Amino acid sequence: MRPEHWLYTVPLRLRSLFRWAQADQELDDELRDHLERRTEECVAQGMTQAEAHRRARLDLGGIELSKEKCRDARGVSSIETLRREIGYGLRALRNNPGFSTVAILTLALGIGANTAIFSVIDSVLLRPLPYAEPGKLVMVWENLPGSNPHNTVSPPDFLDWGNRNAVFSGMAGLFDQRANLTGNWQPQEVALQDVTANFFSVLGVNPILGTGFTAENGQPGHDDVLVLSYGFWKERFAGDSSIIGKTIRVNGHPLIVVGVAPEGFDWFIKDSSLTGARPQMWTPWIIPKAFHDRKNVGRFMTVVARLKPGATVQQAQVQMNAIAGQIAEEYPDSNGNWGAKVVPVREQISGDLRPALWILFGAVGFVLLIACANVSSLLLARAAAREREMAIRTAVGANRWRIALQLLTESALLAVVGGSIGVALAFWGTNALLAASPRNLLDLRAVSIDMRILAFAVGSTLLAGLIFGFLPSFIAAHSSVAETLKEGGRASSAGKGRGMARSAFVVMQMCLALVLLAGSGLLIRSFIRLVGVDPGFDASHLLTFKVTLPGLKYGTDAKCQAFFGELLSRLSHLPGVRSVTMNSFPPFSGLGAATGVRLLSQPPRSLKDLPEAEVRVVGPDYFSTMGIELHAGRTFSEQELAEARHVAIVNQAFADKYLSGVNPLGQRAVIYMKSDQESESTPSEIIGVAGDVRQMGLDTPSEPTVYWPHPELVYSGMTILVRTSNEPLALVSAARNELQQMDPEQPMAAVATMEQLLGDSLARSRFTMLLLAIFAVIALTLAAVGIYGVIAYGVTQRTQEFGIRMALGAEGRDVLRLVLGQGTRLVLLGIAAGMVLALTLGKFLAALLYGIRPTDPPTFAAVALLLALVALAACYLPARRAIRVDPMVALRYE
Amino acid sequence: MSKPSDLVQGTLDMLLLKILALEPMNGFAVGQRLMQISGDVLQVSDGSLYPALHKLEQEGWITAEWKTSEYGRRAKYYSLTRLGRRQLEKETESWGRLSSAISRVIKLKEV
Repeated sequence: MRPEHWLYTVPLRLRSLFRWAQADQELDDELRDHLERRTEECVAQGMTQAEAHRRARLDLGGIELSKEKCRDARGVSSIETLRREIGYGLRALRNNPGFSTVAILTLALGIGANTAIFSVIDSVLLRPLPYAEPGKLVMVWENLPGSNPHNTVSPPDFLDWGNRNAVFSGMAGLFDQRANLTGNWQPQEVALQDVTANFFSVLGVNPILGTGFTAENGQPGHDDVLVLSYGFWKERFAGDSSIIGKTIRVNGHPLIVVGVAPEGFDWFIKDSSLTGARPQMWTPWIIPKAFHDRKNVGRFMTVVARLKPGATVQQAQVQMNAIAGQIAEEYPDSNGNWGAKVVPVREQISGDLRPALWILFGAVGFVLLIACANVSSLLLARAAAREREMAIRTAVGANRWRIALQLLTESALLAVVGGSIGVALAFWGTNALLAASPRNLLDLRAVSIDMRILAFAVGSTLLAGLIFGFLPSFIAAHSSVAETLKEGGRASSAGKGRGMARSAFVVMQMCLALVLLAGSGLLIRSFIRLVGVDPGFDASHLLTFKVTLPGLKYGTDAKCQAFFGELLSRLSHLPGVRSVTMNSFPPFSGLGAATGVRLLSQPPRSLKDLPEAEVRVVGPDYFSTMGIELHAGRTFSEQELAEARHVAIVNQAFADKYLSGVNPLGQRAVIYMKSDQESESTPSEIIGVAGDVRQMGLDTPSEPTVYWPHPELVYSGMTILVRTSNEPLALVSAARNELQQMDPEQPMAAVATMEQLLGDSLARSRFTMLLLAIFAVIALTLAAVGIYGVIAYGVTQRTQEFGIRMALGAEGRDVLRLVLGQGTRLVLLGIAAGMVLALTLGKFLAALLYGIRPTDPPTFAAVALLLALVALAACYLPARRAIRVDPMVALRYE
Repeated sequence: MSKPSDLVQGTLDMLLLKILALEPMNGFAVGQRLMQISGDVLQVSDGSLYPALHKLEQEGWITAEWKTSEYGRRAKYYSLTRLGRRQLEKETESWGRLSSAISRVIKLKEV
């Protein structure tokens, strides 16, 4: 069209769009006017009024049809048509409230669940991390083959890596510690991260207040500064922006606040965290000289690096392998066999959540498919009911595609309404889930529904609409008109097609439901096994809390020892306390320390090939308080607990692994926790063997462990463990009292009962299990509804047939068998298909299972039975109706 | 009445435009006038007339106005637009070419 032509017609088109009602009225008026004129003409020709009227109508061909033709002739825009179809669709849905409600709710459930899971996946796996160019950030770990693949890094190695590499534009290191905040405010223990001064610039993060760290802060004398986390700033300092420049006493040291980090920024790598807590403050850490000279080689740093533009992770890995190899050759004692591992940051943060999340995503996808199948079946049933109407419309000239369009529109409407409710459900549900799940589980705060998630919801809604809308409309558009209009045309080919489609749906639903049930069953059994694992100690009635003594006040070993000694003594005298002890890293704290051990009775080995053992420093009565069995020897004596006498107790795993066949008692071992010289000059004598304890988690087997009494290695931070006669948390304030009496500035941190900690360690498994179980139940319900619908419909269709049969002498039993026979066939087919699918997909679940194989036969048998029973019950209800059919009524039914 | 000749849609458009070029009139009247002028040869069925008129209106070749008719009712009166006039010229021209081409063939002398 030429431009001015188009311009001219736009107002017309717009008018037809917006004043459709008026335009419609005008069309009506015009045609009626025509009829009157034609009538008058005919009358003038001699016909009677009635005849003339009839003639006029005949000539015109029917007002409504003419109106349609006029509208078509106008080539009314597709928006116009769509609007009209939507109107019809809405009316159709309103006229069938039962159907609409069921369909909409089904869809809402399916789409809602999908969106909820996707928003979680998005937050954890997909959303860009709050750093500049996060794709270029990597973690660099040390690793020892056969041991932890992501081991923390020693400062000398960090320095050498920094000097020798050519693939990173910047490398920062950090470790976290607990520190006490004192001064004008209530003493509080905080999680503090000591970072190299370039930390924030490597991450590409700018503070929202203040200047942050500069290169100068990396120089001695200028490192007494602090950056606060956003959350901590809001919580402790009420978001006061004048905090910049103020001084805060941390562990007694005055530090000046120079920045506040942006909201949502925290750097928390759970695997390597020494505190297990999100950082609340950052301070620069200057690597002491002793590390530069490799005099001290403890491995405790977490290293993050930024790749140079153009460098890839693989290139970095290759280079780091080479560098680590060089260092291993140069310093075989400390670094022999040690390599380096480069891991992209995203993978580090979310890696171990990935399997669970994708499994849940798949599961919820199945639920959506089942839901769509149900709605599709419903639509097919309705389409069947309207088959005659459709056929008549087609015969009278309505465009086949318009009918298909109408059905599609109805489906789309259902999808839109269902989808909207679904999104609302998702929003509410996700936040409810997060609130209900234990802390630190998903490392998420509120999951917000943003554009991307909405796009996903819209996309899945439309997809669902297409999937379940397509089939009925396709069948409808291809139905043969002539056949349908024949009397009793229920056995039309379209009907057969529909019947097959519905049966196929049922089989598919059964199949998917079985897969979900199987997965859920496996997870449940795995969880039960996990919970049944004996942790090796008595976890009930045990209160734990951490006390970290600041170096400024308690600089010597003697002071620390004295403090803890007095604290334990005071606590043991409190009413309700059965016994007290302490441990540097108790079980289920998620933290630990390990080192190499040399057994003097065994042939000497180089330092790098030494067997590894976990090391724990404990207080008096440790084993008795914890309820750990002693398998051999004795516990520490009073003198050994008062001063370093170089004795140690090992656990059974240690004895089995390193001293099998030998009496462990009396053996002497060098444990390299202190400097090499000191360690070698003071080997410990093994005086006892204790039972194994699950240290990291119920599903992680015990590692060889060495227990030292506190005086042997005086940690300034210990976890106090109190065995109580009643509810442990009731004792917290009394304990805190004692602590404050000893030192008013000393806070108590990480207060929890051992049962809570145990529960937290199970949290992820429990969460996944619950979610999958919920999905499986939903799937089962939907599938049951699906098969019920199909069988019920079949019964309705065959009512006449049943009536005839019964009139001819068939018993109720026979009719029942007929109906159930159909159902049983579908169920068995579905279960068989489901078994095959479940066995194939089983391997994806393997990562989440404990103590059970993904092909566990009893589980499969049980869920198959469950599904069969439920499905047959669903078939039985309509079957009963079939029996009750009164032959006389049935014969007359049409 | 002899059976009216079938009118191809394109030619119908042209004829309707021409009639409206003479003077604005209401839909019914257009049908009557066509029959009248062509001596009952060209007849548009009522069912086809209005769709055709509406199509012309949609294309912008005719425009409509609601006026009170001689019967005291409201009636829709169509008139030709400037665009319509141009369209009419175009169609008349191509019709002319077509008809003269057909004439040339028909007038060929048989041997």
